[in-house]
Amino acid sequence: MSRVTFAEALVGAIADEMRRDPDVFLIGQDIGPFGGAMQGARGLFDEFGPRRVRDAPISESAMVGAAIGAALQGKRPIVEISFGEFLPCAMNQIVLQAANLRYMTDGDARVPVTIRTRVGDGPYRGHPQSYEAWFAHVPGLKVVMPSTPADARGLMTAAIRDDDPVLVFEQMFLYHAIRDEVPDGEHVVPIGPARLARAGLDVTVVATAWMVHRALEAARQLATEGIDVEVIDLRSLAPWDDDMVLRSVHKTGRLVVAHEAWKVGGIGAEIAAAVAERAFSHLRAPIARVGAPSIPIPSAAPLRTRVIPSAEQIGDAVRVTARDAGPAV
Amino acid sequence: MTEAAVGARESVVDEPRRTLEVYRWMLWSRLFEEECGRRNPRWFPVEGEEATIVGSFFDLRPDDVAAPHYRGPFVVYAMRGAEPWRLAAQALGRSDGYSRGRSVPFSGPLSVNIVPWVAGDLGTTLGVATGAGLAFAYEGSDRVCVVSFGDGTANRGDFHENLNLAACWNLPVVYVCQHNGWAISESAESYLPAPIAARAAGYGMPGESVDGNDVDAVRETVGRAVQRARRGDGPSLIEARTYRLGGHWSADRSPYRAAGAAEPWRAREPLAAFAARLKEAGLADSDALSELTQQLQAEVTEAFARAERSPEPGPDELGWEAPP
Repeated sequence: MSRVTFAEALVGAIADEMRRDPDVFLIGQDIGPFGGAMQGARGLFDEFGPRRVRDAPISESAMVGAAIGAALQGKRPIVEISFGEFLPCAMNQIVLQAANLRYMTDGDARVPVTIRTRVGDGPYRGHPQSYEAWFAHVPGLKVVMPSTPADARGLMTAAIRDDDPVLVFEQMFLYHAIRDEVPDGEHVVPIGPARLARAGLDVTVVATAWMVHRALEAARQLATEGIDVEVIDLRSLAPWDDDMVLRSVHKTGRLVVAHEAWKVGGIGAEIAAAVAERAFSHLRAPIARVGAPSIPIPSAAPLRTRVIPSAEQIGDAVRVTARDAGPAV
Repeated sequence: MTEAAVGARESVVDEPRRTLEVYRWMLWSRLFEEECGRRNPRWFPVEGEEATIVGSFFDLRPDDVAAPHYRGPFVVYAMRGAEPWRLAAQALGRSDGYSRGRSVPFSGPLSVNIVPWVAGDLGTTLGVATGAGLAFAYEGSDRVCVVSFGDGTANRGDFHENLNLAACWNLPVVYVCQHNGWAISESAESYLPAPIAARAAGYGMPGESVDGNDVDAVRETVGRAVQRARRGDGPSLIEARTYRLGGHWSADRSPYRAAGAAEPWRAREPLAAFAARLKEAGLADSDALSELTQQLQAEVTEAFARAERSPEPGPDELGWEAPP
């Protein structure tokens, strides 16, 4: 085990895969001598040079398109989109080419492209909008969103080795904040299974990325009030682990979903809908959703603080859900 | 571009067998696509643009990658080894089509080194083609990619982003604009204030206009750009000026087009001009050409008859081990 930050874990995974597989290379802005936005590609240029760590013009669509085209020729490119706010520039390539190629060619084409990007609030406050739910909506794409350094390493490794396009959403507040234990050597976290972050009996909270930490913070407070919260770190949005979520809801009968992105049309809406469809009779209270209200994420700190869900908001949602009696299971 | 063409062909008479083969493919394209149009009123007719299409891709090596425009790509797939009856099944959306009914009708098989069509948007294939060039440059191979696109598509942001990227990275890609003068109902004068070839200077790459109805000129011009890319000297932009004689789709009578506007172009459509030159050069006489037409028409008819025996796609074609 080594104690590394979220950012170091991501870079470590990329470096290891580049050492292991000569077909893996990285395209992006400022990933050369500068080391990537928020030092998210630190050291890669020094080790692998300009052929495999390619600073690109500011052309997200061409970067993703070129990665797809190279992938069709057997390469395994990683595209770094500096911030999630720039992903819409590459939308055509992601949703019409990357997502469609395998299905539309009856499996002849495979698209082993990893698209990594940074979203959410962070230490420098820039580029905070979170668009991950858009991509979970589109068939043919895989979407992961780790919350710990170990999962950052394991999911990035899995993404690079996957034969389908995978988007890796890297939450920026986590980047340099947590130093945590990451297994040494090969560490792959399969895309799909969620992680049980805290076992509990009373209420299930399904959260993503930064909100996993806020949900755990809320759970610690709620424990002192006699509410035993189970926290599931979704970590993979497409496909997502309906098994673990449904099993947990069967046990608790109560569900809260929490994410930093907007509540309307967020990944939490999909989880809530799936649970309502498939576990309605197990529910003892209405499902609660915690997410940002439907306004663009504002810049000034006092405004942003009001928009991004807090541990208190998650805690309040859990209290309401736990109080609501409902029929017994 | 002034450098001498290495291996590019110079005139009609210097390699008669290949010249006749070029004519054969242009005629095949005309007949095959007409058959598609007869069966599908929403087909995109190719009539008049065959010289640009065949001329741009005929001389590529099998290991090069071809990314033809959506209007008339079947001849490119066929020249590279796709089976005509399966292309017909693709056009008809049958289960023996290369995508088994899944993708747009004008797609083709990845196995013949093409960029397949997997959506109806325009411009993204420029990116995928550029990526083929990136893979070749990354490997240090001498393979190249030729991609064609319309004059309408040339106004998409992907045109700009990809030509600039290819120039920055010196990628072996040849960008051919199949300029047919129309973007559905809009005429090129309304959306092209300057020649497309002139844009090449802005990317620091060679740009050349060519008569897109003269298949020899297209082959020579594209051939020079291909040689340049193969040598490692980077991308080129070629604007092949041709004309869409038909509508945007088969049943489109082009009410937006001034009466008689197509006539000057019809008078110099590429197949008749090519046939006249073949006769002039003594490579074929009228009997031989009409015999060839009959033979190809029979092949096309048979391909479609076989395609029609292919079943409509059923639930098995729908399935796929997809991520949920």
